[in-house]
Amino acid sequence: MSLVELKRVTKRFGANVVLREVDLRVEKGEIIAIIGRSGSGKSTLLRCINGLEPVQGGEVWCDGVAVHDPKSDLRALRARVGIVFQSFNLFPHLTVARNVMLGPTIVKGMAADDAEKLAHEALRRVGLEEKIGAWADELSGGQQQRVAIARALAMSPTIMLFDEITSALDPELVGEVLLVLEAMARDGMTMLLVTHEMNFARRVANRVVFMHQGKVWEEGPAKEFFAAPRTEELRSFLSSVLH
Amino acid sequence: MIRELSLTDVEYLLLAMRWTIALTALALAGGGTIGLIVAACGASGRMLPRYLARGYVGLVQGIPLLVWLFLFYFGLSIFGYNLPPWVAATLGFSVYAGAFLGEIWRGALLSIPKTQWEAGRSIGLTFIEQLRHVIIPQAIRVAIPPTVGFTVQLVKNTSLAAVIGFVELTREGQLTTAATYQPFAVYLIVAALYFCVCYSLSRYAGALERSRRVAR
Repeated sequence: MSLVELKRVTKRFGANVVLREVDLRVEKGEIIAIIGRSGSGKSTLLRCINGLEPVQGGEVWCDGVAVHDPKSDLRALRARVGIVFQSFNLFPHLTVARNVMLGPTIVKGMAADDAEKLAHEALRRVGLEEKIGAWADELSGGQQQRVAIARALAMSPTIMLFDEITSALDPELVGEVLLVLEAMARDGMTMLLVTHEMNFARRVANRVVFMHQGKVWEEGPAKEFFAAPRTEELRSFLSSVLH
Repeated sequence: MIRELSLTDVEYLLLAMRWTIALTALALAGGGTIGLIVAACGASGRMLPRYLARGYVGLVQGIPLLVWLFLFYFGLSIFGYNLPPWVAATLGFSVYAGAFLGEIWRGALLSIPKTQWEAGRSIGLTFIEQLRHVIIPQAIRVAIPPTVGFTVQLVKNTSLAAVIGFVELTREGQLTTAATYQPFAVYLIVAALYFCVCYSLSRYAGALERSRRVAR
């Protein structure tokens, strides 16, 4: 079975249908970029994978857990599915170290000094070990986002979900975050990224998924995908973002 | 017989101040307990607890505090419950403080962005763990200044307990005035004592407000 499998997933907010019978498979080690216009359902798709959004139809399987089933233990699943948000969502009342340590100590019951070692390790991976004692609001946006990545990494996730994580950053801060992602990609992490960074998607992703009107409109290997779009909708989307 | 205002009277006023503070503390304990329940119900996602909390707050805020005190002191005695003034006052002030603290704390809980709950949920925290480690520590920082502000109101409002015969600072002031016939001097002292407590509390609230770190 694939690491993530979506079968005819339908998601509605009231009368508004956001996902229409979406099918998607993600294999272990794959890096998938999800692109599309705002409102195309790409962020919602990502949030359905760890059950942050319940689905109204179809099946969502993630790491062997039936996410669509209300009886499933999503808490255990979320401990192994990392997610990073557009607006960082760090805990402002905790230091950087405690932000990273919270999951390991509370969810995994890890001892404080082990968790602290882990926090050092996770922060080293995002290049911010020296900020371990800082408060979130003392950091730049790019640094906060890297701490958010470290917070997710500290849980040793089997897959990482990234929801437009560079969209809220000043342009000069985007690069440092993308470098962290590239390093994670080299380490073999399975990654799903909703992104507007087309060059990054082309360079790093194995596969690109284009969402349109709540459907997976077109998908394919990154190289061909950008070079030879098959649908008119993708062609027009690419021409509007690639300038 | 009318006597001179002496240092002993000032001493008695100071001693009566203890009862003002004691009543405030009792009201905070009782009202805090009610307030926690009201806040939890009011911030809950379920309809019934939310309506109950809203109903309670509406009822309490729609009736004057003085009337609540009369209800507990004179009202209950009709049914054979002759409560001592301090018990009636504690009940009345607890009911009153519960509604206001409940509203303050409900607002504090709701002021923490939904994304903070989500971030907690995403690393695998349960609902209770999200509350305990993520939401409440931030909500407390939001809630402390208005809670202290309300406490200042409470200190002043405990003077109403004088009318059901609870001898706190104001009642002691009345008694001293009756004995010395020096209302201006006596109430000036009473006013100064209230001011000392309330002003320091306000300053404290201000200091707390400047030192909070929460999600925006």
